[in-house]
Order: sequence, then structure tokens, then C-alpha cells
Amino acid sequence: MKNSKFLIFFILVLILALLISPIQGQKKTVIKYWLWLDDPTDPMFPDLVKQFNSLNPDIQVEYELIPLAQYYDKLVTAVGAGTAPDCARFKDWWLGAFVDAGALEPLDNYLNNWNGYKDVITNLWTTGKIHAKSPIYMMPHQLITFYLYYRKDWFKEKNLPPPTDLSKFLDAAKKLTDPSKNRYGFGLRGGAGGQDQWLAFMVAQGARLVDRTGKVIADSPEAILANQWYIDLFRVHKVAPPSAPTDAYAQVLGAFQAGITAMMAHHVGSSVLVTQRLGEENVGVVPMPPADPRRPATMMTMSGNVILSGSKNKDAAFKFISWLTEKDQMDKWCRSRQGQLPVLKSVASMPYYMNNIFFKVSLDQAKYAIAWPPLPGVGYISAQLWLSLMQRALLGEITSKEMMVEIANALRKK
Amino acid sequence: MHLERSNLIYRWEKRVFPFLLLLPAFILIIGVVAYPIVRALWLSFHNYNPLKPHASEYTGFENYLKILRDSVFSIALRNSIFWIIGVVLFQFLGGLLGALILRQNFRGRSIVRGLSLIPWVTPSILIAIMWIWMLDGNYGIINDILLKLGIISKYIPWLAQKNTALPSVMIADIWRGIPFFAIMLLAAMEAIPEELYEAAKIDGAGPFKIFTHITWPLILPTVIITTMLRIIWTANHMDLILIMTDGGPGFSSLIIPLMSYHTAYKQLNFGYGATIAILQGLFLIIFISLYLRLLRKRGSIY
Repeated sequence: MKNSKFLIFFILVLILALLISPIQGQKKTVIKYWLWLDDPTDPMFPDLVKQFNSLNPDIQVEYELIPLAQYYDKLVTAVGAGTAPDCARFKDWWLGAFVDAGALEPLDNYLNNWNGYKDVITNLWTTGKIHAKSPIYMMPHQLITFYLYYRKDWFKEKNLPPPTDLSKFLDAAKKLTDPSKNRYGFGLRGGAGGQDQWLAFMVAQGARLVDRTGKVIADSPEAILANQWYIDLFRVHKVAPPSAPTDAYAQVLGAFQAGITAMMAHHVGSSVLVTQRLGEENVGVVPMPPADPRRPATMMTMSGNVILSGSKNKDAAFKFISWLTEKDQMDKWCRSRQGQLPVLKSVASMPYYMNNIFFKVSLDQAKYAIAWPPLPGVGYISAQLWLSLMQRALLGEITSKEMMVEIANALRKK
Repeated sequence: MHLERSNLIYRWEKRVFPFLLLLPAFILIIGVVAYPIVRALWLSFHNYNPLKPHASEYTGFENYLKILRDSVFSIALRNSIFWIIGVVLFQFLGGLLGALILRQNFRGRSIVRGLSLIPWVTPSILIAIMWIWMLDGNYGIINDILLKLGIISKYIPWLAQKNTALPSVMIADIWRGIPFFAIMLLAAMEAIPEELYEAAKIDGAGPFKIFTHITWPLILPTVIITTMLRIIWTANHMDLILIMTDGGPGFSSLIIPLMSYHTAYKQLNFGYGATIAILQGLFLIIFISLYLRLLRKRGSIY
């Protein structure tokens, strides 16, 4: 009896000692990196990490894939709990909230010594800042600009000109809508993720959420009118399917592929899926149609890479995220199933991108595209607020003005 | 000396050692039950943003007062009550019917019993995605069938309309939960001694009388415990709603736990989110104790 008690005690002490003693291993710097991938089965990224780890024997990159829908929640909680990764893929939507909390590391000192700096399309460095004079917090990596797909064959059938401005867009949408045949002019996305498409139509009408000085003008008469125009597509002109208030990407893409909608606003990420299904000859693409052809505008959103301020290995983290942004890796990423637009001039000028109409239209738009303002409230707007406001507006429960006032209030909130 | 020592060992073995053995369970309960509750209570009196944990301030009862004026909360509360009562009631009725059918003797009964569990063992994410496609407003199979049967005249966007969104998700959840009731009630029915039925038949009781006088009273304890469990689960589980509508369109399918999640994780207002969750817990405790008191009185007759 006594003996067995002693034995148990001894074993417990042994286990404790093993737990406490630091396990001595190789002196590798371990870098934790979080990201989402639109297609998590794509081997492109694991291959890149393998390549980086073998090129840099002193650094070990360990990555974690998280679906985009949970990404913001997880990163926020990890920062709060002190378990955030060293570096992470990041969206411009979240910059305001994270910089406000001091959770991101300014990258200017690192970028001064990075020889790829000048290769990045100049306009795009602003997407990593929170105002004109702020440091750069996010390295640009993958860009999206919204353009418009249209069914060339249907337009030809009805003798309609390509929808190059908003009046032609609305006219065509009306003429191509026929509910009895389950056909609609435009795939409006009122469900999850629809805020980017909405912002593209807002800026295309000349409306802005903030002015040049950074003042919030989302509740200006122009913005309220522009939003009304967008709501009317569904409520008055009825050119969008009745399911529009909850349609998310899968439904909008599905409806365009199935020949239910004539036009869809999206980005280069869907170009392969769309042309494969409908045939290249039947799919046309135009830049986002503006209200005034002399003042084109669309929305862009940048996903880049950041270093979390709590990281203990910032140099190694920068080495990894800057390596990802270099020419060969960038090209590999853009050609993969995750492919969005390259942010490097040297990659964008490759024939592969210049000869592809979808890439070309997108890259041309990058010169004048507008991103979400980097204010703390944008995280909440893009994660939740816009969705419930837009749905209530589409159902007629609130007016365009009420919606824009709430958005403006969220943007003004410190 | 000898006596004193044995006294010490006696004390150790009888008074301290048992508590030492209980310690792991105690620590576990503190860690996974007590701490989260205390933490939630603490959060509900503060204004806490996880990105700025050190900037949280004590706000007193502000969050609780805010809830009283919050029109979204009253919508969520109404939806929650509708959701809980509708889902549990129909799951129970469906399960009771299923149990009565599965109790009959027919060929292939054991296969049918096994297959009927499928909805219950399917992961909720699959159930949600499956029902999203079946209910799709442009090419969903449910629209197709109803149209061909002449019940509807045009496709209906079930999940995109104010009045059909919540009922549509409820149908998916009812479908999922029926097997749970069916299996639990079936087990209770199987435990009823066959002699009771024989005696009733000899006394000339018909099937309805047999059900109301023998089956129902004897399965009542199981009915009480299963409906109670299901009420708690249905009140707290928001998985299907989260995936199928995310509370939308607008607030038309928003229930309290989902509102709490949105407030905490999307708005980064953990204090108010915790307040909503605590109120939901209180409502549930009150509701369940009333429910148990009501049914225990009736159940104790037998």
C-alpha cells in the first residue's frame, strides 16, 4: 500500500518535471502564418511554404488555413487572447479596427530595405495605409477590382449595345428580364459578401463614403440617391431574381451559369468558372459601367499580408511575407485557382495577363478603383451591418436614407 | 507515539484523501462551467473589445438597460419563442408518430429503424447546405415539386422572404430532430410490459384508449425529459440558422444566441453580447422550471 503510493507520487513528479523542462531542439525560428484560400484543396500554397522552408533552413513557416467566413472572428479573438500568429493574410476591410487597437506592426522600416518596393503598382501602397500620411501596415498581395460580365448572345439576340454605362445597363437589364421564363437582367447580391458589389455600384454613380479629406459623407444626398438606385433595381424595376436579398456568391454565380441572369458583377476570380460553363464566345466583360462615362470608378479590395505587433520574430515574418510578394511566387499564386490580380508591374505586364481579357479589364480598372475607407467601423460594416441593412432595405423595411445614416454612423464611430 | 501516527494516517485517508480524489473533477467543473459563467457576468458589466482588452471600462447596468430599449432584441426574443415552440412541438409530434410506426411489426423493420436515424447523425453543416439548395429560389427541388403539383404558381425564394425564412429553417431543423424523439420514445414504449396491453385488450379497450390510458402515461417521464433537453438544445443551437440565413433577410430569422454572436464577434461588443446571452440563460431557466413544475404534477399521478 505504502509502496504503491510512493510509486504514484514518483511518477507524478516525473511527469511534472518532463512538462516543465524545456524541450531542447534545433534552433529554428518558427513563424506562424494564418491565411484563407478560396479553394482550400489547392496545392499551390503548401508548395510555396515547402519551397520557402527549404530555401531558408533557419526559418520554419507553419501555416493554418481558416475559412474566410470565420477568419475575422478568429483573428480578433487570437489578438485579444495573445495567441495571434506572427503574420497573417489580411483584408483592407479590417485595417482600421486593427490599427486602432495597435495590433499591427508598421512595415516602413522593413520596406525601405526590400528591393521589390518599386515593382509594386504605385497606387496600391495606399491600400495598406489608414490615411495618406500613415505608415504602411499591409503589404499588398492580391487585388480584386469589380467589373461586369454580360451574356453576349442574349445582348445580340435583343440587339442591345454592351452595358458600358449605367443607363445602358438598366435598359438592358429591363429588356432581358422575363419572370415567366425565370430570366432576370442582373444578379444582385443582397446576401453574404454583397457589400463589395454594392460599393462598386455606389462609386460608379459618383457617390463616396468619405471625401478627400477623410470626412465621412456616406449620408450625403448623392450617396442616398445612389443607394436608392441600387435598391430600385430589385424593388421598382424588378430586374433581379426574387431571391436577391439572400443571394450570396454561390447563388449569384449559379444563376449566371444556369442562364437565369444576364449580367453579373464580380472579379477575375470567377472568369474560368463562368467561361467554362457558358463558352468564351457567350461571355462579355466590360469595366464597371459608370453613370458618367467621363468619370469611371469601381471598387477594389486588397488582400495583403501583415505582421502582428505581438510577434517575437518580426524579421523572419517579414522575410516570409516579402518573399511571397516577389515576382515568381506572385505569378504562381495568380495563375492558381486562387488567382486574383498581381500587384507587381513585372507580373502584370507578362503576356499571360495582358492577353487575357478578364485580367486586362481588371488591371486597367486598378488605376482608378476605390477601396473601402480604412476606418475602424468598416470591419463591422463588412462583417454584419451592411448585410442586415441592405436586406431590410430590399424588403422595404427601411429607406435608403435610414440605411446610409447607419452606415455613416458606423464609419464615424471611433 | 504509535497511536498519534495512526491517527494522522486515519485523518489523511478519511478526511483529505477523498477530497484529493475529487479535485480533478472539481477543477474541471470550475474551469469549464463556473469560470465561463463568472466571466460572462463580468463581461456584461463592462464594455469590452477583444482587440483592446486593456481599455475595457466598468459600465454598471448600462448593457442591461440598453437591452430594454433595443427593438432588435425584442424581435429576436419573439423569433426565439416561435422557433423553440414550433421546432420542439413538431419534432415531438413527428417523433411520436415515428415511434408508433416503428413499433409495429413489419418486414425490414430493423433496416427502417436504422435508416430513420440518418437525419439525426448527419452533420449540421451538411443539413444546412442540402436544405439551402433544396429551398433555392431559382432551381430548388422543393419549388419544382410544388410547381408540378400545382400548389404554387411560380418559384418562391423561401429563404429570401420575410415570412418564409424562419419557417423554412424550422422545417430543416424539425426534419433533423424527429429521429431523436422517435428513438427515445420507442425505447420507452418497448419497456412497457406486454401484459398491460393484453389486459386492456381483454377489457375491450380500442387502440385510442390503449394509447391514452397505457402508452401515454407510461412514456410521460421520457416525454418530459426529452422535450426538456430538446427545448434547451433548440434554444441554444443556432448552427442551421447561422449557415442558412445568418438571421436574415433583415432580422426575420434572428434568434437570441445568434444576436449575441453577431454583437460579440462582428460588432466586437463582447459586453453587450454577454448580456444578451445571460438574459437568454435566465429566460431558459425560468421557462424550464415552469415547464417541469407543470408536467411533474401531471406525471406524478401514475
